[in-house]
Amino acid sequence: MSQRTWVPSPYGTIGPFFLKPLVDGCDDLTQWNGKKARGQQIVLTGRVVEEGNAPVLNSIVELWQADAGGVFPHPLDPRAAEADPGFFGWGRARTDREGRFQFRTILPGGSREENGVARCPHINVMVLAIGVTRRLVTTAFFSDTPESVDDPALNCVPANARSRLFAVRDAALDSGATPVYRFDIVLRGDHETPFFLD
Amino acid sequence: MASHPAKSTAPLEYAPYDDATQSLRQIPRYPRSFTRNPSQPLIRRPLTLSERTGPADLARRLPVDRMDLSRPDAGTARVAGQLIHVAGRVLDEDGAPLAGAMIELWQANASGKYIHEMDRHEAPVDPNFTGWGRLVTGAEGEYEFITIKPGAYPVGESDWWWRPPHIHFSIFGVSWMQRYVTQMFFPGEALNETDLLYNGVPDPEARQRITFQLQPTKVGIPNLLRYRQDFVMRGKRATPAVD
Ligand SMILES: [Fe+3]
Repeated sequence: MSQRTWVPSPYGTIGPFFLKPLVDGCDDLTQWNGKKARGQQIVLTGRVVEEGNAPVLNSIVELWQADAGGVFPHPLDPRAAEADPGFFGWGRARTDREGRFQFRTILPGGSREENGVARCPHINVMVLAIGVTRRLVTTAFFSDTPESVDDPALNCVPANARSRLFAVRDAALDSGATPVYRFDIVLRGDHETPFFLD
Repeated sequence: MASHPAKSTAPLEYAPYDDATQSLRQIPRYPRSFTRNPSQPLIRRPLTLSERTGPADLARRLPVDRMDLSRPDAGTARVAGQLIHVAGRVLDEDGAPLAGAMIELWQANASGKYIHEMDRHEAPVDPNFTGWGRLVTGAEGEYEFITIKPGAYPVGESDWWWRPPHIHFSIFGVSWMQRYVTQMFFPGEALNETDLLYNGVPDPEARQRITFQLQPTKVGIPNLLRYRQDFVMRGKRATPAVD
């Protein structure tokens, strides 16, 4: 039996003027509902650059991630009842003149599918910008041993580009007790970030 | 408006967007689109819980309910411009309404000026017009808001390009995959003919989906022009596989 299908509306660029009040206060994922998120706090920072390694200022980066226990606060996750009440999992930030964004969040836990497939700790990342007519989606992975990571999304990425999807601990940038991870996003050019089909 | 939490218990299937119904990634004469879109093919990967979940209840996280952008505070004067009422529904690919979807919108004032540090256009700022709103769809996926029709504005990096009047939208459905950003245009605007972004959607039928539809006019308080448009988010309800 065929059912009528509605066609998804066409995407458009976010343009230059995504207003400040829509971004303010969205870059800290470490507390929610007056509670502190469980787990290791981190700073996730990086630069968004375009062809020629030029900074992309005024782009919007959004995140979605599991909590420290690898649970997504969403009804589709069978473990949703165990989700950290101090963690919402979503964030948004704007890039500055150097193309830099910065979030405070917690190190995500690995998650497991109902069929047993394991996802390695990761954060979903999307970029919106002038000239980007459809959102660009990628994933930041976290591991001390990137070579040995077995993750169903990462395994789809050409082997020589996988390292670009790992956020790198940068001890020189550590802010006090909070470790800083760098995740640069190259929209186009040398060392281009692998993006996923959306 | 009553807030309806996103109903996200039914899993959805997400086919990749059909390029024929979407904007070009690289639009001739739009230089940024050539330096900011990947040269390598996009990578197909299996969708897991991570992508099938998402910030479905953002109304708990972000302030909502700016229904009337034309009136900054109850009882104050309306901002300058042609008053309009915009309504429609947010649906999925089955035509099923998405209750509890969050809609963010932002726009220029009637003179084509945004309140944004990067806006260099020398047009008057309307101090009463903040130019943004955040709403949540009702039980039938419906949304509505009142605002003023935005003005056209020149693109600073170009020597000819004027953007036609448009309103920007950002919508959150029930998952990371159901995330939508676009611009909506007004019917019959001469500047639509030359706009790179509007015409960056090559299929005229698809362009209609990002064009407000003017509704039959009526005179009577409140006097405003009414427009409608639905947003169709990607995603169909999963059906059990049949052998
Ligand atoms: Fe605009």
